[in-house]
Amino acid sequence: MTCEKYKNLIEKYVEGIISDGQIAELKTHAETCESCREEFERCVLLQDVVKHAFSSPLAAEQAGASLVAKLSAEPNLRLRPARFGTALFAGKRVAIAAGILLAVGLFLGFAIGRTGKSAWTPLTAQVPISAGKIEGTVLVRHEGSDVWQALDTGSNIYLGDTFHSTAMSACVLKLDKKSTLELNQNSMLVLKLYNDETQFFLEHGECTASLQSPHGPFFINTPHGRVEALGTEFTVKVIDE
Amino acid sequence: MPESPITTTETDKQLVKSTLLGETSAFGAIVERYWNMVVALALSKVSDAAEAEDIAQESFLKAYSQLPGLRDPSRLAGWLSKITIQQCSNSLRKTVRHRRTLRCRATPVEELDERPAMTANPGLTQNQIQFVRQTVRRLPEKFRTLIIMRFVAGLSTVKIAEQLGKRPGTVRVWLHRAYKILRKDLAPLLEEVKSL
Repeated sequence: MTCEKYKNLIEKYVEGIISDGQIAELKTHAETCESCREEFERCVLLQDVVKHAFSSPLAAEQAGASLVAKLSAEPNLRLRPARFGTALFAGKRVAIAAGILLAVGLFLGFAIGRTGKSAWTPLTAQVPISAGKIEGTVLVRHEGSDVWQALDTGSNIYLGDTFHSTAMSACVLKLDKKSTLELNQNSMLVLKLYNDETQFFLEHGECTASLQSPHGPFFINTPHGRVEALGTEFTVKVIDE
Repeated sequence: MPESPITTTETDKQLVKSTLLGETSAFGAIVERYWNMVVALALSKVSDAAEAEDIAQESFLKAYSQLPGLRDPSRLAGWLSKITIQQCSNSLRKTVRHRRTLRCRATPVEELDERPAMTANPGLTQNQIQFVRQTVRRLPEKFRTLIIMRFVAGLSTVKIAEQLGKRPGTVRVWLHRAYKILRKDLAPLLEEVKSL
């Protein structure tokens, strides 16, 4: 017999699958083989050391009796009826719940996304401006949308709206009771929030402002610069070169 | 094959059945059987022995209340080990929160003395015990559980594989890796103990 066989037996001892006969055989061999003896002794010692380092000062019998007494003394500590799985399956339950929520969320998102175009609601704040007199066809596009809609008299105006007046058309935006901003034909005007104030950006075309006197600072922004109202009436024209 | 301190799974099944029928003493037998394993598992995560015993108690009480939900009573030891590890994590989280509130630190290892430890083996000093525990704590969690189940609970690799729902080959490989690490790291201590 070679030492290789006994090394396998020592491995079996570590794994706890060695028979009594094999242990006796190993011990007999260890008496004559120093290296196998040392290896086996180290293996036994390591197991003992670990076992003793992790042993509880409280005897198992005592612990059992103490817990039984506690269970008998406290009526609140009862066996809970089996529910859907146990604590060990809580993770699975959470995963299933998350999956269901995700599926519902995706379905709702898809459904809203599909119906959203026909019943579009602007996400930006409504501003105290309304559409006044309209001549011809003036189009409006809300922020985040690709759809141009015809502007009607009395329509609500939202931040981010873009107005486009076609040829032979114009519209009046009522800023307050007496102040108005008139968008002439072939013009494009955007309503934006800039420095926490609602401001007008004339992309191209022409617009005329009629302001109530006295009035606060009022600007019309253009691609070439900003125009400030000093009087009560002025016209800004942006011509593409 | 040497007798394992833990008896057959059939008996585990019977004890679970009796507990479910209202016999509290049967649960007492379960505690007796797995007390050392559960305390050792707790000790492999927390440093304080008293805290480990508290965790063991809480784990058994939790196991008792959740026993009707145990799907396979023959895997009681594996189920208990998972509950214990979960309880340890909860306890550690509470301790961290508590320490943050009080802004205090854990007892330094240097403060431990050379007095004989209050364990079953009077041969090991408190320092040696701490050294062994710290060495085991440094192992990855899957190795730690195996070492405890094998060397403290006395379960064979085949039974551990059944309990943890792993393949016996995997458990064997993990155990030998863990054993190799321990043999290397504990070599000075083993020499010290051997020479006494």
